Amino acid sequence: MTEEVKRIATPKGEVLVVAEQILGELQPVTLELLGAGRYLADKLGSQLTCVVMGYNLADMPQRLVASGADVVYVADHPELYTYRTLTYRRVLVDLLESLAVPPHICLLGSTTTGRDLAPRIAAHFETGLTADCTELDVGPYEHKSKVDPSKVGLYEECLYAIRPSFGESLKARILGPWKNPQMATTRPGQMTPLKPDPGRQGKIVPIPVNLKPEDYRLVVAETLREAGKGLKLQEADVIVSGGYGLGSADGFQLMYELAACFSNSAVGASRKVVDLGWVPYEHQVGQTGKTVRPKVYIACGISGAIQHRVGMSKSGLIIAINKDPEAPIFKFAHQGIVGDLYQIVPEMIRQLGKVKSEKEVGTVVSTH
Amino acid sequence: MADPFDIFVLVKQVPDQGSKAGLNPDGTIDRAKAKRMLNPFDRYALQAALHTKKTYGGRVTAISMGPPPAVEVLMEALEHGVDRGVLLSDRRLAASDTLATAYALCKTVQWVGRFDIIFCGLQTTDGDTAQVGPQLAERLGLPQITYCQDFKIDDHRVHAERIIEGGYQKLDSELPVLVTVANSYHPLEYKSFRGAWRVQQLLRNEVEQKKYIQTVDLDVIGADPDRCGLKGSPTIVAATEKVGEIGGNCTMHEGHTASVLVEELLGCSNLKEFVKA
Ligand SMILES: Cc1cc2nc3c(=O)[nH]c(=O)nc-3n(C[C@H](O)[C@H](O)[C@H](O)COP(=O)(O)OP(=O)(O)OC[C@H]3O[C@@H](n4cnc5c(N)ncnc54)[C@H](O)[C@@H]3O)c2cc1C
Repeated sequence: MTEEVKRIATPKGEVLVVAEQILGELQPVTLELLGAGRYLADKLGSQLTCVVMGYNLADMPQRLVASGADVVYVADHPELYTYRTLTYRRVLVDLLESLAVPPHICLLGSTTTGRDLAPRIAAHFETGLTADCTELDVGPYEHKSKVDPSKVGLYEECLYAIRPSFGESLKARILGPWKNPQMATTRPGQMTPLKPDPGRQGKIVPIPVNLKPEDYRLVVAETLREAGKGLKLQEADVIVSGGYGLGSADGFQLMYELAACFSNSAVGASRKVVDLGWVPYEHQVGQTGKTVRPKVYIACGISGAIQHRVGMSKSGLIIAINKDPEAPIFKFAHQGIVGDLYQIVPEMIRQLGKVKSEKEVGTVVSTH
Repeated sequence: MADPFDIFVLVKQVPDQGSKAGLNPDGTIDRAKAKRMLNPFDRYALQAALHTKKTYGGRVTAISMGPPPAVEVLMEALEHGVDRGVLLSDRRLAASDTLATAYALCKTVQWVGRFDIIFCGLQTTDGDTAQVGPQLAERLGLPQITYCQDFKIDDHRVHAERIIEGGYQKLDSELPVLVTVANSYHPLEYKSFRGAWRVQQLLRNEVEQKKYIQTVDLDVIGADPDRCGLKGSPTIVAATEKVGEIGGNCTMHEGHTASVLVEELLGCSNLKEFVKA
């Protein structure tokens, strides 16, 4: 005798993206989330909505429509000029409570803002939140565990929040279909934005801002951003990344020398060497560092753990230099050199130097 | 004079990923066999708590949740100068996700009592979510300062510097507040040998140990077991899958001198195009 599986369908709410702006500058992660959100909303057959909070937002709501949102909720208010945990939390909680049906899915960037705000919203609504997802999808899930009989059943359209699992080489699919919104964050660079279409039509809906006295317990005196300062890892065409195989912090000198051979290049690193203090965190590539898609990624002495791979596997050309022919990085690199990086890299610098002088001769000749 | 500060610091024991012990062949970690350590991020929180005590006076209580061996991280905290420890340990907490963990920690904090400031590590090295701190703040109804890299306290307000993308914020909060400490804050100072030795001697005696480190369970702190563990967790790991071998067609260069290998590489790829003229 087979038991009938209990089908559980929750009312299908919208897919909501929480937009992020810093000092009026829309953050790219928002457009990426709209790209991912559009896919999820289309698959669910629901709407893609987006909420933006700030002050003097000008054409920002329109840009969110152009990048995929069907509806943009706008909270434009002087008190929202800079991000503050309690004020933004208030507006977002009020918005979610005002909706007749809670969003099916709610997405935020895994940034200093998203990681500050998302957990508060999830805790307030007692709902699940998965950090740093590398893939998002929707699909069915049958819960069989009888630990909590009320949860048993077939859930038709759950958010699949996929991220590398603890330990290595496995991806975990994390679900929380019991309560909506099902929440997730993704790192900047991880999802693909849509091509903006200025002709796209969408609805722009102003939402109320009702702050309470306790929301002023925390104030921001100043937000300082140093434009142009800092490492432009995500904008580089060529990234030379060093790992534990460098043997010591001094090894990074060689990485800088190799990077200097290329135009628009930067130096990256694995987490192991960042944890060891060989280079600052801003260089870290991977699940808990930056996601990069340069045209060329040169990994020197990096084993290729899953957490590193998810941060760079979409690079155009991946070159790996590792003395261990069995290193996992050779499973997804395009070009692999098996050897001691201390012999290979100086040789690369030498040969690329020759290419450079040939190019220089070339330019001189062409000016005649 | 104002009352001395009551400072709480939350610490967690995590598997030591640097050691090979407890690493399964498929790369997953066997938590029972793995070596254990204090979550590296919590060292900064500990430093912040001890600095607060040293500068402004007060008492530091370290709080942890985990299986019985987690008492080791509380002992370590005491060796560094923390005044007392509280460990929440209960089988019913197994498989708690961040929300259930934040619930259990909230109940523990409330059971321990009054506080002015709670320090947490930015995140853990095993979960890596950075969610528990803010979720705890939400449950306690507190303001929070995450990614804090510097702070001072005056007039019952915390003035802090918080890292953001490409810069930082200067902010200011009333007490009580929850602070998660970034790893650009000062590293944990070395413990004094004599102090640490004295604490070790003291904690060796079980009766004495119980005076400094209390172990409590869900019943003691009055937590609802249905809101903890698997039952209280809105998320579950539904499946794990091996990562597909994308690409899998790496052109390998090996077994030659460096100069031949590099020539091969330049011949097989468009790397030259990116060379700076
Ligand atoms: C939750 C979580 C999040 C994580 N997030 C990240 C992340 O964001 N980014 C990240 O990178 N990692 C991350 N990690 C860590 C990751 O699992 C690996 O531990 C790390 O990437 C390994 O760094 P590595 O490749 O430099 O070191 P190793 O794995 O030790 O590899 C060193 C490599 O160098 C090679 N080598 C040694 N000497 C030489 C030589 N002379 N010449 C050539 N090759 C040599 C060796 O063969 C080896 O393959 C995370 C882990 C966890 C659990």
